[in-house]
Amino acid sequence: MMKKAVELVLLLLLLFFTPHIMGKRYSPPGKPTLTRCRSPEKETFTCWWEPGSDGGLPTTHALYYRKESSERVYECPDYHTAGENSCFFNKNDTSIWVNYNITVVATNTLGSAFSDPVDVDVVYIVKPNPPEKQTVTIMEDKGWPFLRVSWEPPQKADTRSGWITLIYELRVKLEEENEWEMHLAGHQKTFNIFSLRSGGKYLVEVRCKPDHGFWSEWSSTSYIKVPDYFHREKSVWILLTIFSAFIFLILTWLLHMNSRSLKNCILPPVPGPKIKGFDNQLLKNGKSDEIFSALMVSNFPPTTSSNYEDLLVEYLEVYVPVEQELMQEESKDLHGGCLKCERSTSDSDSGRGSCDSHTLLMDKCGETKEEGRHTDRASSRMLTEAQRHQKGWEKDTLTYAHGDMVSPDMSNGRVKTWPSVFSPLPQYSSNPLDKQSSLEMAKQHCLSTSSCLTQPGHSTKEALGPSNWDFCLGNKQPHLLHPQTQVGRQLQAHSEVNISNIGRKQAPAGLQSPALRSTEYVEVQRVNEEDLVLLQPVVSGCGRIEGYPQMPKGKDYSKVKGVDSDNMLLLQREVMEEDWCPGVDQEINGGTGNCYTSSTVNTTQKPTACIHTAMPVQGDMALAMNGYVDTATMCTLPTC
Amino acid sequence: MSYISFAVLTLVYMELSMRVVTAPICAYGQAGCHAPSLADLFERVIQQSSRMHGISSDLHSELEQYFFPRKNVLGKHKCHTYGILTPDDKENAQRLGREQLTDVILSLLAAWSDPLSQLHRSMSQDQNQNFNDHSYSKALEISDMVHELREGVAIMAEKMKLLGVLGNTMGYISPESLVPSSAFTFYKQGELNSVDHHDLLYCFRRDSNKVKNYLQILKCTILPGLDC
Repeated sequence: MMKKAVELVLLLLLLFFTPHIMGKRYSPPGKPTLTRCRSPEKETFTCWWEPGSDGGLPTTHALYYRKESSERVYECPDYHTAGENSCFFNKNDTSIWVNYNITVVATNTLGSAFSDPVDVDVVYIVKPNPPEKQTVTIMEDKGWPFLRVSWEPPQKADTRSGWITLIYELRVKLEEENEWEMHLAGHQKTFNIFSLRSGGKYLVEVRCKPDHGFWSEWSSTSYIKVPDYFHREKSVWILLTIFSAFIFLILTWLLHMNSRSLKNCILPPVPGPKIKGFDNQLLKNGKSDEIFSALMVSNFPPTTSSNYEDLLVEYLEVYVPVEQELMQEESKDLHGGCLKCERSTSDSDSGRGSCDSHTLLMDKCGETKEEGRHTDRASSRMLTEAQRHQKGWEKDTLTYAHGDMVSPDMSNGRVKTWPSVFSPLPQYSSNPLDKQSSLEMAKQHCLSTSSCLTQPGHSTKEALGPSNWDFCLGNKQPHLLHPQTQVGRQLQAHSEVNISNIGRKQAPAGLQSPALRSTEYVEVQRVNEEDLVLLQPVVSGCGRIEGYPQMPKGKDYSKVKGVDSDNMLLLQREVMEEDWCPGVDQEINGGTGNCYTSSTVNTTQKPTACIHTAMPVQGDMALAMNGYVDTATMCTLPTC
Repeated sequence: MSYISFAVLTLVYMELSMRVVTAPICAYGQAGCHAPSLADLFERVIQQSSRMHGISSDLHSELEQYFFPRKNVLGKHKCHTYGILTPDDKENAQRLGREQLTDVILSLLAAWSDPLSQLHRSMSQDQNQNFNDHSYSKALEISDMVHELREGVAIMAEKMKLLGVLGNTMGYISPESLVPSSAFTFYKQGELNSVDHHDLLYCFRRDSNKVKNYLQILKCTILPGLDC
C-alpha cells in the first residue's frame, strides 16, 4: 500500500512537472525597476515600480527600504492604497529630510530579483494636486473688460501653516486657437487677463508647484465668453474712416477739376508753330493744298500796296504756247496767287475747262489766289485739268478748226483768242477803293484766264510759233476760237516787254505789229473753275455771252489797238455792229485811269447807246479796277 | 532753444520735488531710523534663505554631475549637524513652538558658517582645477549668505521678542554646544578632497532647506496672512 501510494505520488509529480519541463522554461523573475516616487503634500509618498519578466511563474514583489544612517530594513507598509505595484508610505512612516534607500524585490519560486536601490528624499519629490475651486469672471476696467481668474490651492497641500509654499501658473486660449498663452502667477491666488477679443470664448487652466518639486497637472478647464464691446472701439474707427474717405474724395475731385492747370504747371506744353491759319492736322494729312489755302488771309496780298501796277502788268498774260518755262517765269513775278495758274498751264497744258467770263473770273480769282500760294501744286492741278480738257478740246477745236477756222492759226487746232477779254468783276464797280483788290482779282482772273488761254507747249503749238496763244475752251461751249495772230502777237509782245523774268522764246516781233488784224476775235466769256477761259466770239448782241458760239459774223471784236508808251495795251473795238461790247481793256501797268481812258478812247466808235450803258459800267469798272472791262456784264446790260 | 530750456526746467523741478530720501533701517527702532516691520523682515529672510538654498542646490548638482555617477550619497557618513535636533515632519515642527524653532534656525545657521568658508578655501586651492569660475563664486556667495542670514534671523528674533511675539524663554544657545566639537573632524582640516566637498554640499543643501522651511512655518505661525 505504501509503495503504491509513493508510486502514485511520484507519478503525479512526474505528470505534473513533465508538461512544464517539456513545454516552457521557467526562470527566476526579472529585475523590477522603481519608476517613480511621488509625494502630493510632503507628508506622505508613494513609490511605483515596474516588474520584470515573471519567468513564467507567479512572482511576488516586495519593497524594502532603509532609512538614512540606520541599518534597519523595513518593508513597505501598504501595497494596496496606491494601486498595483506600488507602495504607499503614510504619515507615520514618512520622514522629511531623511534619505530613503528603497529596493524592490521580485520573487518567484525559482528565485528572486532585486531592483536597483533608489535614494529618495521626500522634499524633492513633491508633486502637488492641481489647484481647486477655479473661477473665472469678467470684470470691467474703465469700460474695457478683463478676465479675473481665482483658485484655491489643492486641499491636501497645507500652505496655511507654511509647510508648503506653492507657486501657480495659468494658461489661457481662445476656443478656436491652438496655442496657449502662459502666465506665471507666483504665490498669488488670483490673476487678471486683459486685451480680450470681444465676443471671444476663452479657456483657462491653472497648475501649481512647490518651491522645489514638480508641476502639478493642469486643473479642469474653465470656459468664459467675453461679451461684445466693439461699440466704443470700432465706432471711432468707423467715423475716422468715413471722414478720411470723404476728404480723399474731395481731394480727388479737386485734382480732377484742376487737372489741366496742374498739367500745364507740371508739364508745360511745348510751343508749336504759331502761324496764323496753319493747321498741323492738315499738314499731317499731307494735303498741302488745303494747308496753304488755310493760310490764306483775305487781306493778302495787301491791298494797300501801291504796286498794283506791277500786278496789272503781270496780269497781262498773253501767251504763247510751248513756253512752259515762260509761264513759270511769269508766275514767278506775280505776287498774287494767280501766278500759279500760269505755271500750271505752262507745264503741259493750259488750264482748260469751261471759262466763264461772268462769274468765273471772280471765282477764279479766289481760286487762283489760293493757288497762288502754292508754287507747284496749283499749277500742276491746273495742268492736270488742262490736260484733261485738252484732249477733248483738241478734238473740238480740230473740228472747229477744220470746219470754221479760217485763220491759219487754227490749223493746229488751237484757238487763239484775245486774251484781253476779261470781264470785270461786279464787285469791282462798287468801290474805287477796291481798285487794288479788284485789280488783284482781275489780275488773278487774268492769270487764270491766261493760263487757260495759254496752252502748254505742244508739238503742234510749236509749229505755229510763239505768236499763238491758245484759249481753253469750256466744257459747255466749245467756242469757236478765232485766232488773232496779230493780236496775239501784240499781246504777247506786250507781256514780253513787261514781264522781265519771263524768258520768251518767241521773238518780240509781235510788238511791232500791233495793227495786225486777225481774222477773228474772241472775247472771254468767263473763266471756269478749272481756270479755263471760255471764249466767245463777240457777236452783235451783247447778251450773247452765254450763248452758243456764234460764228464770226463780222461782229465787233476787241482788238488790240496798240501798245502805248506806258506799256498800256490799248484795245480797240472794231465797230462792226451797232452793239458794242466794250472790250476788255487790259493794262499791263497799273494805271487806273489809263484803262478807262484807253477804253473810252478806243470805243469812240461804239454806238452811243451802248456807250451810254457801257459807260457807267465802264466807269464803274474803271473805278473798281484798272482797265478791265467785263464784256459779259456790259453785254448783259439791257440797253445794249 | 525754448524747448531745451523748458525740458531742463522741468527736470530740475522734478528733481527737487521728488527727492528720494534714504533712511537707515534699524532693527531696534532707534530714533532716526526707519524700522522695518516684522513682515518685511520675514520677507527678506525668507527670500535670502530661499536663494541660499538654490545656490547650494546648483553647486551640489554640479559636483554630482561631474564626479559622482553613483546616487548613494554620504554612504555611512553623517552631516556634522546631526546633533541639532530638527523636526522632520509638519507635526513635529508645529509641536516644537516658535521659540525653539527660532533657536533651531539659528543653530543651523551658526553651525554652517565655518564649514562653508572652509569649503570655499578648499575649492580655490584645489589642485585638480575641477571647478569652474561659477563654482568658486557660488561657494563664496553661500558662505557670505550664511553669515548674513544668521544676523538677519537674529535681528528678527530680537524684534519678535520686543514685540512680545516671542517669549523670553528662548535663550540664545551657542551653536558650539549643539554641534559636537568633532564635527569639524568630519571635514578634514586643511585639504578637503572632492568627496568631502560633495558630502559637505549635500549636507548644507539639506540644512538650508530646513532653515527655509522653518522660517516659513514661523512666519505663518506669527503672521498668518496672504501667503499662508
